[in-house]
Amino acid sequence: MITVKLYGLLRLDSGIRELSVEAATVAELYTRLSEKVDRLTKKDLEGCVLLVNGKVSSRRAKLADGDVVQLLPPVAGG
Amino acid sequence: MESKYSGYMGKIMEVDLTTETVREYPWSDERRELYLGGKIMAARILCDHLTGKEKPFSEENWVVIATGPLTGTGAPSSARFDISALSPQTGILASSNCGGSFGFHLKKAGYDALILKGKCRSHRWLEIDEDQFIFHDADELWGMKVGQCQETLTKLVGKKKFGKLCIGPAGENLVKYAGIISDERAAGRTGLGAVLGWKNLKAITASGTKTIPIHDKEKTAAWCKKWITYLQKHPLTGEQLPRLGTAGLVSSMQMLGILSTKNYSEGQFADFDKVSGETLAEEYNITNKGCLTCPIRCARTVRVQGKAVKGPELETLGLLGGNICNNDLQKILDWNYELDELGMDTISAANTIAWAMEANEKGLWDNGLEFGKTDNLSEVFEDIAYRRGIGDELAEGSKRLSDKYGGKEFAMQSKGLELAAYEPRRAVGQGLGYAVSNRGGCHLNGGYLVIMEGLGLHMDSQTPKAKADLTMTFQDLMETISASGQCLFTSYAFFPGFLLTKPNGILTKTVNAVAPHIGWAVRLINKHPRIAAIHLPIFQHTKMIELAVGMKMNFGRYLEIGERGYTMERYINTKFGISAANDKLPKRLTDVPQDPGDPKTKIPLETMKKTYYQARGWDHNGIPTERQLRRLKIK
Repeated sequence: MITVKLYGLLRLDSGIRELSVEAATVAELYTRLSEKVDRLTKKDLEGCVLLVNGKVSSRRAKLADGDVVQLLPPVAGG
Repeated sequence: MESKYSGYMGKIMEVDLTTETVREYPWSDERRELYLGGKIMAARILCDHLTGKEKPFSEENWVVIATGPLTGTGAPSSARFDISALSPQTGILASSNCGGSFGFHLKKAGYDALILKGKCRSHRWLEIDEDQFIFHDADELWGMKVGQCQETLTKLVGKKKFGKLCIGPAGENLVKYAGIISDERAAGRTGLGAVLGWKNLKAITASGTKTIPIHDKEKTAAWCKKWITYLQKHPLTGEQLPRLGTAGLVSSMQMLGILSTKNYSEGQFADFDKVSGETLAEEYNITNKGCLTCPIRCARTVRVQGKAVKGPELETLGLLGGNICNNDLQKILDWNYELDELGMDTISAANTIAWAMEANEKGLWDNGLEFGKTDNLSEVFEDIAYRRGIGDELAEGSKRLSDKYGGKEFAMQSKGLELAAYEPRRAVGQGLGYAVSNRGGCHLNGGYLVIMEGLGLHMDSQTPKAKADLTMTFQDLMETISASGQCLFTSYAFFPGFLLTKPNGILTKTVNAVAPHIGWAVRLINKHPRIAAIHLPIFQHTKMIELAVGMKMNFGRYLEIGERGYTMERYINTKFGISAANDKLPKRLTDVPQDPGDPKTKIPLETMKKTYYQARGWDHNGIPTERQLRRLKIK
């Protein structure tokens, strides 16, 4: 099981902070998430910066049971 | 002196506070072309006046309050005005920008700028009503906090439409980082509130019915409409900033390891989500709000003590959150409001507290302050503003305190100005910016390179490559945006939306990979800005000036005006002894890796400084050369 944490507008739009999903790759995770949550589109997910276990990762990355995935939409300005 | 250009009101007024007399300060169209307005106009005035011997608390320290040609024209986010003077916090030139409505109303009264000379003989406030400059006794206002003072001014002026700025108790009591407040917005940084306090000037109001001239009204309106649409469709200025405010950065900074934590000893705060922008939006935010003419509307409105008030920015969340090990968001909202009411910079106040907590922990200064112990901080802030007990010492800021007690290596400041909430060891270009920034440790005046290093694009955040040249470009661009009267946030849309929303796309990855290798190309444009004699489709600012002001403008000219401003500010600072030796950071950032296992996670400052001075055409000691000063028509 993969723990997915959502941030920024992804979290505000979906109303979800954290959820668990079964997936073997990031690409599969995106498919599962978009199926599971209406407000999470694949386009939005692919627009996020992706961290797997705290490290910046890519869409092709493989996932293992217990991994933590963090998804952040683009931000700037302070 | 009237101008052939629109946007300007054509008058700068020299106000002698000692004699309470007013006269026009000469200014020409040639100077408008060279220095545009705002902070660069102010720098020119101060460059002509300052010799290097003046003290911040002296009659010779002129305060220049300057608008830009776009202030109040209806251009997006154009409510800005600038306040410049010698800073009591740093001892060098300071400029502080504000989004309150004072600048707009100053222009409606008929003026582009005010120069405040001398010192009021007693507590005064100044009312400007078109051609009347009326000095009033301020004994009634003296001692009032900012909110009450502004409410009282509204009654005293008796008009619906007028602009105001004032200081709070912190300014009256010469707290070195006291700010100046206009409406709910602050010219917060560099302690200029204390300069007004020393001058016995509590407040200024401005009102009038003059028309701000627009060069080509029809085309200006059409351009504004197009630009506003662009900003509202952009993922940063149309989505993130309106919905999350700057607070939305907390989570990203945490992920990147650049969220200042425990006085910048770490870059991640375990409880970051409790003080994040998302939590603020979900649990505390009432609505978002904007300055006059701003389509971005990044300000938060929250409830404090039963009132709807302005919420905290990212800096305040970071520095009063993880940096002092506090995870109570409601407390940050309360302190943010209290500090605004006292008229005090939240960044320097919070940073000074963090230094004091560490100094106490290390046994350097027994002051009772501890990381994570926050129940007494409201009282401490009041004590600072009124200079009571330890507050009297904390009012001096972290540099002076570390000079006295030791602990310079963890006094998180540069040139006496405390750093913003970005812990730069994992964004080294931002570290360079803090060090070379003209006004001291400022993230924006430093060039805000963190936008290329993770908060926006994702070029290698640890490499020094290209960082110096990019820093110069960003500093110069932001210098001119500020001088024009617009908000810097309009520049975030400079990055095309598709680069930001497709971080894993081929084009974005290519830009990120190539960025460290484009230093030479950036240098070429920096050295010869006139080769960029075009309007960039993603940088609408230049066309805006042509249409609204009627001044010939393009990207190259715009960049050159910024370079002139930035170099002139540096030149002024060199009169006060600033050189490469002052462009420094605390050792915590340059000598101690954030990750003990990764020696790259510290700032290679000297390497980047050397390239930066070369890029700017300054000598190895960071002094602008005579040739450079002449080329830029500063001398």
